[in-house]
This record gives sequence, C-alpha cells and structure tokens, in this order.
Amino acid sequence: MLQIIFGVLMGASLLYGMIRGQGEAVAGAMLSAAGEGVKTALSMAGGFAFFCGMIGILRRAGAMEWLAGKAAPMLKILMGRDVPSDALEYVAGNLCANLLGMGNAATPLGMEAARRLARGEQAGNALCLFLVMNAASIEILPTSVISLRAAAGSANPGAITLPTLLVTVLSAFFGILSCKIMEKKAC
Amino acid sequence: MLILPLFLLLCICIGAFRKVALYDAFLEGAKEGLATAKAILPALVAMLSAIRGFEASGLLDGLCDLCAPLFSWAGLPRETLPLMLLRPLSGSAALAVLQSILIEYGPDSPIGMAASVMMGSTETIFYTCGVYLAAAGVKKSRHAIPCALIAWLVSSLAAGWVV
Repeated sequence: MLQIIFGVLMGASLLYGMIRGQGEAVAGAMLSAAGEGVKTALSMAGGFAFFCGMIGILRRAGAMEWLAGKAAPMLKILMGRDVPSDALEYVAGNLCANLLGMGNAATPLGMEAARRLARGEQAGNALCLFLVMNAASIEILPTSVISLRAAAGSANPGAITLPTLLVTVLSAFFGILSCKIMEKKAC
Repeated sequence: MLILPLFLLLCICIGAFRKVALYDAFLEGAKEGLATAKAILPALVAMLSAIRGFEASGLLDGLCDLCAPLFSWAGLPRETLPLMLLRPLSGSAALAVLQSILIEYGPDSPIGMAASVMMGSTETIFYTCGVYLAAAGVKKSRHAIPCALIAWLVSSLAAGWVV
C-alpha cells in the first residue's frame, strides 16, 4: 500500500509539475524535503531518547506492567489474545499519552509498540488495528488546536473539546469496525 | 499546560519510590529510543519528499478544486477542504492551514469550529503509518491504511456536521 502511495505521489507530482513547466521546482521541493526529513528525525531523536528514557524508569518500576494489566482486558478483546505482553505495555502507554494530548510522548511509545507487535514482513491484525486506533487519534485534550484557537483570539478556545472527542470516538468505532471486517479476508 | 512537567515528575517519583536505578534505567530506555529514531529516518525522508513534491506540483490545489462539488454536496464548508486533504499528509502544513482559516473566518465561526474539530480529530495518517511501519520493519501493511483512511473520512465528515 505504501509502495503505491509513494509511487503515485512521486510520479504524479513530477509529471504534473513538468507539464506545468514547474518540474524543476517540484524536484527542488522534494530534495529540500529530504533534508527536512533528516533534520526532523534528528531533532526528534532527542525527544525520543528523552521520553524512552523516562519510560525506561517507569518500566523498571513496574508501572508499565501495571498500566498494561489495567488495559489488557479491553485491548485483548480488540487485538486478540495472542498479543505479547511487552507489546501491550507500550500499546497502553501510547493510548494514554494520546488521550492526554501528549503527542511527543505518544510517538516513541507507539513505535516501540509497533516494533513489538510486528511479526515478520507482514503486518498482523493486531498491528493494523493499532495503526488505525492511532489514526483515529482519540484525545481528551486536543492541546495544539486549543492553543492555536486561543492565539487566534477565540472567546472559548476549549469549546471544541467535546465535539472533537465525539468525532474521534465515532471515527475510532468505524475504523476498528472496518479493520475487523477486512481482517477476515485472506492475508 | 501542566501535564508534561507533572508526568515527568511522576516518572521520577515512581522510580525513586520503587528504588529503581534512575540513571541506568533512563540510559537503557534512551538507547532504545535512539535506535528507533535511526530506524525511521529513511521513511521520514521518503514520505516528506513525496508529500512536499505533491504540494509544490500544484496537484494538491487541483485535487481541492476537483473535490469541491463533492464537499458542498456533503454539506461541509468548502473552505475546510484543503485542511481535510492535507491533514493525513502533513501535520505542520495542516496546522498552518488551520491557522489561516482561524484568522480569516474567526475561530468561533462555523467554519472555524468545523476546521478546529477536523484538525483535532484526525491524524497525519501517512506519516504515522509510514513511520510506525518502518519502526516495525514491516513491508506489507495489509488493511492498515485503507482502514485508517476510513477513520479519517468519518472524522472529516462528522466534523462538519457536529458543530
């Protein structure tokens, strides 16, 4: 799927850009984005290391296990019984961080979760479901949007909190439902 | 927002309470974090170049024009269309579009509200999926992306209706 998306985005952009006489600009934008990607990864690496370090402390203290234990019954219903328990710790941590609007902590946790959910070259049902749950982005506090609204002079920046929660719950429901339907099909 | 400092303090307190070797545990975790960052670097370069190229070529604008009738048919404000299309591709670009919408139409107008909810209830799907799949070392993503797009579509449509 990513192969197709990448191919279509690259091919169509270059072709369309060249037709419009903007081929150079498109290629230039791609090249500078590559540099931007490295910069982003490097600047994120510090944050990753930091948050994973903090999580490392929580792990040794047994807090991650506790969290996973609390969330396990629900997660096992969603993701199946054979999910490894170390993956569950990170899945639970990622979902909690997302719920609280801590995107910078959620991403490294999510990646560790994905790594532990992976079984070989193909994404299993559990990994797919995990990605979809992240795509639906259930948040109690959409922190970045609220601060942006406040900056734009909103009378009530937090007014979107409840509608946002409703919408994300709805989209999570449909996302998970579609996952459950599609995972029945042969791999 | 006090959540982050409180969370960090909580980590340290829990660790100290359980007599964890704090520094060692941090280093061990940080090492894993750096390994993950290294694993996702190629995916970041690939996705970002594809997405920036898509923007620069004018295809994104073209797509917006193409989808406009569909949007008015679904009862969504047309002004939120670029936001909806950009959102799964790039978080920072979507944030920039949201900001311009909020300034132009006002954060408390129907358009501003719909755009805010849309931004908060969806995720940078291609980026997140690409990065998570790269971290997992998975080649075939199966139904993950189609299902993520279904969640995105539901969010975007519902955002227009809920406010």
